Amino acid sequence: MLAETYKRRDVTTVVPVAEEAVLRFSASYLSRSAQFLAIFAQFALIVVAIHSWQLETQLLDRLMWLALVGFVIHHFLPAGLRLPFFAILSLVAVITGLGHLGPNVGVAWLTGKITTSGLLYHLVPGLAVIGIGLVLIGICHLPIRFGARVGLLAVAGVGLAFLRGHSQWFPDVTDMWVILGSMFMFRLMSYLYDLRHQTAPFSPSRAVSYFFLLPNVCFPLFPVVDYKTFCSTYYNEDWPRVYQTGLKWMFRGIFQLLLYRIVYEYAPLDVSRLTSALDAAGFMLGMFLLYLRVSGTFHLIVGLLHMFGFNLPETHHLYYLATSFTDFWRRINIYWKDFVMKLFFYPTHFKLRRMGTLWAMSVATMVTFLATWLLHSWQWFWIRGKLLFDWKDFSFWMILAVLVLVTAIYETTRGRRRALAPSHFTVRARLMFGLQASAVFCGMCILWAYWSCQSWSEFQSLMDTASKPTWREIAIVFVVLALVCVCGMLWGQSSRETSEGRGTQASGTPFHFWRSTVAVTVGAICLVAGPSVATWTLPGTKDLIARLHGDVLNAHDLALQRRGYYEELDLGRMDDWRCHDAQEPEGWNAGRKIFYRERSDFLMKEIVPSVSTILGGTPVTSNSLGMRDREYQKLKPPNTYRIVLLGVSHDVGTGVKDNQTYENLVEDRLNRHCPDTHYARYEILNMSTGADCILQMLLRLERTGFDLQPNAAMMSVAAVDQQFLVEYLRKCLTHGIELPRTYREFLDGITRKAGVNGQMPDAAIERRLRRYVSEIQEWVFRRFAQQCTQRGIHPLLIYRPAPMDFGGVEPASRRETIRLARAAGLEVIDLSPAFDSVTDRNRLIVAKWDEHTNELGHRLLADKLYHSLVPLLFPVSSLPQVSHFQTP
Amino acid sequence: MNSEDIKSTVKKFILSEYLPGEDPAALTDTTPLVTTGILDSIAVLKVVTFLENEFGIVIQPHEAVVENLNTLSDIDRFVISKQA
Repeated sequence: MLAETYKRRDVTTVVPVAEEAVLRFSASYLSRSAQFLAIFAQFALIVVAIHSWQLETQLLDRLMWLALVGFVIHHFLPAGLRLPFFAILSLVAVITGLGHLGPNVGVAWLTGKITTSGLLYHLVPGLAVIGIGLVLIGICHLPIRFGARVGLLAVAGVGLAFLRGHSQWFPDVTDMWVILGSMFMFRLMSYLYDLRHQTAPFSPSRAVSYFFLLPNVCFPLFPVVDYKTFCSTYYNEDWPRVYQTGLKWMFRGIFQLLLYRIVYEYAPLDVSRLTSALDAAGFMLGMFLLYLRVSGTFHLIVGLLHMFGFNLPETHHLYYLATSFTDFWRRINIYWKDFVMKLFFYPTHFKLRRMGTLWAMSVATMVTFLATWLLHSWQWFWIRGKLLFDWKDFSFWMILAVLVLVTAIYETTRGRRRALAPSHFTVRARLMFGLQASAVFCGMCILWAYWSCQSWSEFQSLMDTASKPTWREIAIVFVVLALVCVCGMLWGQSSRETSEGRGTQASGTPFHFWRSTVAVTVGAICLVAGPSVATWTLPGTKDLIARLHGDVLNAHDLALQRRGYYEELDLGRMDDWRCHDAQEPEGWNAGRKIFYRERSDFLMKEIVPSVSTILGGTPVTSNSLGMRDREYQKLKPPNTYRIVLLGVSHDVGTGVKDNQTYENLVEDRLNRHCPDTHYARYEILNMSTGADCILQMLLRLERTGFDLQPNAAMMSVAAVDQQFLVEYLRKCLTHGIELPRTYREFLDGITRKAGVNGQMPDAAIERRLRRYVSEIQEWVFRRFAQQCTQRGIHPLLIYRPAPMDFGGVEPASRRETIRLARAAGLEVIDLSPAFDSVTDRNRLIVAKWDEHTNELGHRLLADKLYHSLVPLLFPVSSLPQVSHFQTP
Repeated sequence: MNSEDIKSTVKKFILSEYLPGEDPAALTDTTPLVTTGILDSIAVLKVVTFLENEFGIVIQPHEAVVENLNTLSDIDRFVISKQA
């Protein structure tokens, strides 16, 4: 460089020019250093944001810290060592991720808490994946005919699939199958294709990096990265641009994942609870928006790969603004589209070209979508361990195929508006884009809802709800569509067609490093500090932020464990892999069938007397009277004040030990303090039974509770228990269960008014009964008060708050329940304030997959109940003012 | 047919088929066609058929990729390599 300078300048200026060159070099060095520091700071902020919002799994949190450290080392390595380093880092992530090897395991080994063989045991799943993977890669490169290699891989694939289907045979490596499948089920096809046509370079470090991609261990649902693109985009641009693009996409991914959480928590996603056409529209919109989780994680994944030089293209591009169904197919999951185009569409089309373009295109499109359906089932198999062949998935893909084909034929014959620059589109053309975008958006919402519904009858029920909109509801839907239209006008023509190629679309556009840096930094700081600032300045946002932190199922999904294809493939809701997270661990409720037994009458079920088993991952014991409680005599002993408690699984104490239930805590405290000198002993007999509705509680009291000679009866109700009521009545109808004589007249009247019968779809029955819940509650409360009063028993209604208010419905439901109880003449103990001191309600549930009240919740409930109960039952007593349960 | 003729022929085809009304000068040899969505996957098939008919070459499915078709220069280079 200096030599060139000599040539151009006069000799007399040698010294100044040399200085100038040095200065230029220094400035460049400083500028590059500043850029790297800015990139590192942004990356660290993103890692902290993921940690702070508890995005995805704990494993992702750990992986991000590993990636941050790995990024720095990788960047400073010589170019030739970077790819091998990335390959090794990916293998380390596989071993530590699958083996749940965190710092705690290392510390435990160092301090002798676990043995060396115990530590090595943790390595088994990861090493198994690597071993199998290396064998598969090795087969691809065997020095035999290509067809023979494909045959061998097919045999290996069948063998592995068989073992995956029987993963219970290898309990030590159960977790590995999901990741093994996600690494090889599609990428092996892409790899073989490029190997066949020799379209990319091949080497061991490239192969290992490609198959064991660093973030894959956290994301079983992973974009189908194209091998050729993976190789050709590696540091194909200057590193600041590659890294900064990755940071931008990671930030976008986090933002989309948070948006997803808002939709998931607040959208009406339960068909049986929809009461208006607007609710139905909200359901359709919400279901479609749930896909944000997939695009969010894909952005996060590809962004992270950028930090190691893989300048991969965008995975999703403004897919909610697609202007036709073909356009939608091009924008949503671009990697998948390119994968099936490469392997199925083009080969089929080229083979059938002689038939004519339209025919060849039609057949190739149908073949491509058929392959998409089959490959989605294949993916489902590897992740969930069972095949998915149901008519709903098949019909969804075929409907989409027809829609795409029709628009493709239209575009082929009539043409599509294109321009060299967006500014070339006229206002009229933009308006057309907007209208098309809103039409496609509307169509996809309906189609996505169809795909996500549990059954045909649920979809019918959805359509039934949507069929009678009011003018106001129509206007609201139009406003939303108008918003989509405006966005479509502005960005609808924007296109990002392919994931293949040498670079990205960005390479053709100017790049403003510092502008992007400021945007990402400010955004990341907002994400990290925003919650604290918001709760400090606006205390009302505390609940919202608590709900958005962490990752738990909403109320409906806890009941169903089902939310559509992508949601069910989402394995994040578990301690390690998301799929299992949504499902409880094996044996969690192993004793359900031992603890409860069915009855053929109106009570439907009861607790089996004198058994011990596991419920909610915790030992439970029933007494000889068929209660989850201590042993009591059936006849009340002298000088004893006896209370019976009627409730549901929270009151049973599912998930806490026998002596930790709130009623036992209160009983112990009553016996310690003896608030009334007339009594030497206090007993609370827990008659609660899991999933009982208030009708069953009442009947249980009338049939067996009164025989126990209680002095008081407490009926525990909660907002979500209303769901039990409608489900229970629906079961009575569909199973033809005979109603108790004294209840018959009232309940027959309800079913007549609701216009329901046992032949109707379940969702329709529940939806129609829902509007009579208040009437049923009122009747039950009046009868409860009347029956108790007649026998000289003190009736009480306890309002028990749910540990998590999933739907945000609790305040309204609580007010209504308490109003009805008071109107029926009942004294009410509202336990709602018991949980006020807990900001993060995740702390009150037993586990992510089990929303029952945990031990802390029971202590808080007991404290509140004791303080409220004593003045009502024993007005002359004096209460100690200090809480005995809220121990730090 | 030389390089300029190939580019000119393909340019005329693309302008008439996909960019009617656009300024021909705006479509340069390096204007990205596939990565910007001007040529979508269906349009690529038509371009392939055009290239096969016009220049007497046979294109394989794995050759209908962005590296070969993204710009007029890419197409020119691809056609020349196929003819060779």
